[in-house]
Amino acid sequence: MTGTDPTGEETRPTLVEAVRDGAGRQVAAELSPGAFLAPRPLFSPPDRVRVALVSTRAGLLAGDTLDLRITVGAGARLELVEPSGLVAYDHRGGASRWRARVEIAEGGELLWSGAPFVIASGARVERLTEVEVAAGGRMLWRDLLVLGRSGERGGAVRALTRARHEGTELLMEDLDLLDPEQRELPGVLGPHRVIGSVTSLGVRPPGAGHPSRMELAGPGAQVRLLDRVTPPVEAGLAAVWESWTATECRPQPPSGSAAVRSISTSCPAKPS
Amino acid sequence: MGALAALLLGDGRLPVGGHTYSAGLEPAVAAGLTRDRVPALLRARLRTTAVTEAAGAVLALRAAHRTPVAYEPVQRALAARMPAAPQREVSATLGRGVHRLARRLAPDHPAVTALAGLGSRPLRPVAFGALGALGAVMGVTAAELAHAVVHDELQTVAAAALKLLPGDPLDSVAWLLAARPDAESAVELALAVRTPDGLPARAAPLTEQWALDHARRERRLFLA
Repeated sequence: MTGTDPTGEETRPTLVEAVRDGAGRQVAAELSPGAFLAPRPLFSPPDRVRVALVSTRAGLLAGDTLDLRITVGAGARLELVEPSGLVAYDHRGGASRWRARVEIAEGGELLWSGAPFVIASGARVERLTEVEVAAGGRMLWRDLLVLGRSGERGGAVRALTRARHEGTELLMEDLDLLDPEQRELPGVLGPHRVIGSVTSLGVRPPGAGHPSRMELAGPGAQVRLLDRVTPPVEAGLAAVWESWTATECRPQPPSGSAAVRSISTSCPAKPS
Repeated sequence: MGALAALLLGDGRLPVGGHTYSAGLEPAVAAGLTRDRVPALLRARLRTTAVTEAAGAVLALRAAHRTPVAYEPVQRALAARMPAAPQREVSATLGRGVHRLARRLAPDHPAVTALAGLGSRPLRPVAFGALGALGAVMGVTAAELAHAVVHDELQTVAAAALKLLPGDPLDSVAWLLAARPDAESAVELALAVRTPDGLPARAAPLTEQWALDHARRERRLFLA
C-alpha cells in the first residue's frame, strides 16, 4: 500500500482526453483509469463531454503518487466532476505526491470543479498543477485545500501552480504550507486553514465587484477565499463559479496572429 | 564605487519615493496587526514576497549586463507572480521613482534606455536591477543588490511602524537584527535564481487579499 512497485501500477496516471471530431461532436477520446482515479463518462449535453473522476482507492498515504493528465483538443469542451473529495492521511514520516498536467488546445475549454483536498495532520503532500492553455482556450478551475480534518491543525502541503497561456507564464505560484509555524504568520494564512479559489485561465471573466477578485497580468482572473472553516468558502466559491460560468465569455483583445484573432472573437468551444 | 553604491541603494533617503510605501504594513495594520506582531510580519515577507523582489532585481541586474539588454522576460515573470493588480500597480509606481533616478544618473546607458523600451511600466525590481548595473555610477554586485532590496524591505516596514504603530524607535533596530537569519536566507534564495522561469514564487495569500482591500481604501497614509 505504500511505495512504487516495479509494474508502475501504483503510479499509473489517470488519462482523460476530450476532442471535437470532424463532424463537430464532442467526444471522449481517452478515459484511462489511474492508480487513484477512474474517469467515468456522464450524461453530456451536446456542447461538452462530462466526466466524473471517481476515487478507486482511499486517500493518499506515504509514498503514493496521484497522477492526472487532462487533454482538451481544439474546440473541445470538457467538464470534470469530482463526486468525492480527497484526504491525505497521516503519512507517519513519509510524503506523497499529487500531480496534474492539463493541456488545452486552441479554442478548447476545461471546466474543473475540484472537490475538497484535505491534508490531515501528519500528511505531507507535494502538489503540482501544470496548465498549458493555447490561444482562445480557457480553463475554469475550482480548487479547495483544507488543512486538517475538524479540530486538527493540519498536515504539510506545498502546492505549486504553473499556468502558461500561449507559452507565456500567466500564473506562477508556490504555496508553501509545509511548516505550520510559518504558514500561520501574518500575511501568509494567519489563522485560516481553508484556502479556496476559482481561477479563470485564458479568459478574464466579465464583471468585477468581488472583493477578492484578482485580475492577473495576462488573460485571467482569480478569486481566492480564506477562512477558518470550510462552508463559507464553499458557498463563496460556488457563487463565483456560478457567475463565471453563467455569463457569456467575452473575446480577449487580439494578442497575435490572424489565426489567433479569429478564434478569440468567439466564446471558446461554444457552438454558435 | 561598489561599497558606496551599495549603501546608497539601501538608503531610505534615496529620492525614489520609498516614503510612500509601507511594504505591506499599513494594509496589515488595517486588518488588525498589532505592534508585537511586526517581527512576525517581517518573517512572513522575508519568506515570500521579499524573495521574489530580490530575485527579480538580481535577474534584472544580470540582464542589464548583457547585450542587448532585455528586461521583458523578468518583467513578465514578476507579473505572473503578482496575481493582485494593486501589487503590480504599486510596484510600477515605485519602479518609476527608481527609473527617474537611473535616467538622471546615466540617461544614455543601455541598461537605462532598455527600461523605456519595455512594453509596460518597469516593475520596481527591474528598475532596481537597472540602477544597480550603472557601472561607474551605481554599479553593485548581485549580492549587494539582493542585500539592498531585502534591507530596504525591512527598513520600510520599520519606518512605517513609527507612524502606524508608534512605540520606541529603538525597537525597530532590534526587530531588524532579529530578522537577520531570515533576511540572509532570502538573499541566498534570490542569488540562487538562474532564469526568469525559476524566479521564486512563494505566495502569501492574505497579503494579496490585504492589497486588494487597501487599494479600495480612501483614507490611507501609504500606497501599500
